[in-house]
Amino acid sequence: MKKQNLNLAEMKNEGIENISLEERRSFLKMGLTLTGVFAGGTMLSAVSSVDKVYASAGEYVEKYPYNPHYSMVIHVDRCVDCERCLAACKKTNDVPEYGYRTNILEREVPNAVGQKREFLPVLCNHCNVPQCTRVCPTKATYKDPQNGIVMMNIAKCIGCLTCQLGCPYNARYFSEEKHAVDKCNFCIDTRLSKGEKLTACSAACPAQVRIFGDLAVPDSRVYRSIHQLEKAVWVMRPEAGTKPNVFYTKG
Amino acid sequence: MKSATRFIVLTLLAVTTAGLQLGHAGDGGGDIAYKSTVFSHASHVDGAGFDCESCHDGMFEMEAGAISANPDFNMNAIYEGQFCGACHDGSTAFAADDDCTTCHTKAGGDILYSEPVKSVLFSHESHAAGFGCESCHTGMFAMEALAAQKNADFTMDSLYQGKYCGACHDGDTAFASDTRCASCHLGVKGYNRSADATDTERGASH
Repeated sequence: MKKQNLNLAEMKNEGIENISLEERRSFLKMGLTLTGVFAGGTMLSAVSSVDKVYASAGEYVEKYPYNPHYSMVIHVDRCVDCERCLAACKKTNDVPEYGYRTNILEREVPNAVGQKREFLPVLCNHCNVPQCTRVCPTKATYKDPQNGIVMMNIAKCIGCLTCQLGCPYNARYFSEEKHAVDKCNFCIDTRLSKGEKLTACSAACPAQVRIFGDLAVPDSRVYRSIHQLEKAVWVMRPEAGTKPNVFYTKG
Repeated sequence: MKSATRFIVLTLLAVTTAGLQLGHAGDGGGDIAYKSTVFSHASHVDGAGFDCESCHDGMFEMEAGAISANPDFNMNAIYEGQFCGACHDGSTAFAADDDCTTCHTKAGGDILYSEPVKSVLFSHESHAAGFGCESCHTGMFAMEALAAQKNADFTMDSLYQGKYCGACHDGDTAFASDTRCASCHLGVKGYNRSADATDTERGASH
């Protein structure tokens, strides 16, 4: 089985400053403004001068593929690892003590100037191009055609754990109780379908770290967060080409 | 085997110590350390010329550290002339509210708050430079460790209004309390690490 491989300390900065010149040039050639936004989960997204969104090189022009298109924007510097989100998730979704649907990574940089510690909440990125669903031999894990949530059908799961290998985000654990892989589903069964607007983790956060919402609504906070120019927004492991729907920003 | 050896050594030590104490020679109890506070028998008996009865007349038990179990043993009682305050009244000896660090030789160490969120570290060491005890321990923070977290208003909002840490962490005197969150917040991970460390220390001492 794959070991926990999300090591924050060894993770590269995936912000705008690491975008290669070549990529910057190819985006500029398209007449778009570089923003560091990863809208729709491509390596870069770009916002044109008329503020239209090109989620990925013309693929999802002005439109997100799902409706509602659930997304989470994580204000990473506000996280203090109080882990109320983890507790709320476990309670809401009946996650066993050994398992996790979301986690908080930690990095310490003793030589840093000022703050020397950083926390990073992680969860399933509900990718637009999920690798887990692609490798699942039984289609037990699938992308919901309506809302884009990466779901589990535990009746079909044979526990081969290929999805764990496929996932670049380590977002899946094997549940002994269910005898199936378990993962974040944005609380669709436990909260959203019951009329709640937020996931358990988002609702439990005392510091407004996890902003949950619908990218298909231009007025939503998540939409506004990733379609602005002032602050860098990034995704985890953009090189995996998964087009995540979990975004990171600061401030 | 090892524990048997240790038992014998400890027994011998105890017997030897008891034997020495039989004579009640010298200045008696040596240094009595309690949390951050040290009482030196040497400086009070040899230095100031008191004998055993001066204090061990009902004011302090003979047993070292026994006083720390007494809930009345606090600064307020001392200010009222009890315990150390019997002499440290500003005339017989320096006043108890005058020179804290003479007796409180170690500042409060690391304070790890676990409420309302786990966890926040306050280091006396890194704050001591340029501050006296009274800078914070006059109304803003009680002397008792972790007392602040019992207050309902021990929240970030209070800090933003200049209470508690916010008195200095206002962006002017020190970095603002709505910045650099993880400078003070260690999180659950930091709290657990600290608990592990405490367990290890405890384990090592036994």
